[in-house]
Amino acid sequence: MALLFQLGAVLLLLGLGFFVGGYVESRHFKRLDAREAEAEGFLVTQLKSIPGGAGSAAASTRLPPQIFMAEAVIASDYLKTFLSGVRKFFGGEMRSYQTLLERARREALMRIVEQARDAGYDAAYNLRYETADIGGATSKQRRVVTVAVLATATAYCREPVA
Amino acid sequence: MIVTNTETVPGYHVAEIKGLVQGNTVRSKHAGRDIAASFKNLVGGELKGYTELLTESRRQAFERMMGQAQQLGANAILNVRFTTSAVTAGAAELYAYGTAVVVQPAS
Repeated sequence: MALLFQLGAVLLLLGLGFFVGGYVESRHFKRLDAREAEAEGFLVTQLKSIPGGAGSAAASTRLPPQIFMAEAVIASDYLKTFLSGVRKFFGGEMRSYQTLLERARREALMRIVEQARDAGYDAAYNLRYETADIGGATSKQRRVVTVAVLATATAYCREPVA
Repeated sequence: MIVTNTETVPGYHVAEIKGLVQGNTVRSKHAGRDIAASFKNLVGGELKGYTELLTESRRQAFERMMGQAQQLGANAILNVRFTTSAVTAGAAELYAYGTAVVVQPAS
């Protein structure tokens, strides 16, 4: 009886992960797509120097190149964590976690782009990603499966500032 | 103060190098946030509390680095890098470091 109850709880949590987690993820992807479409024209590169050279000297003295930083922490759901456990037994690509990292990186980048655009910039270069371990993946008593991403980039003006 | 994560600032030239400046911090959120995070782990999605934690840590480390640069009399920090390390679950260590310089607009 107790076993049946436990099995029921696990199934319920898996269902919760499948429906709610799936809904949250697809909504996040839709929002990211929309925000990326809106930010079209904002050039982001990970080059160490401005592609094609700086817009103009006047532009860079009026609005000097400036660092922008953003972070995003995305949690896994019960289903993903469960599936990864199965995958770990057999080995191979963990696709359920791949989307987590994609979401965190895209979210962090969009936050940089939006901040920089609001400040009057129209491009950014030298984009760098850094991951942090907040959930405690390396500690013995791990509790939360999360992906934490910190992104940095230097924003500049491509077009001369009016 | 001009801060970039690149080695040069377009439109400016480096007049004087002041040296390495750095700032670090280890922060955590209250237990309620950690409990909320473990619940959120069932359904997935963004952990706003932990995003905030990273933002606060990054700002604090950044401000400490800026403070050092100001003390040195610099007006820019170049090649800023961030590093994180795992201390324990629910905590974030952020270390920001860069090179403090004096820049002048290139004429």
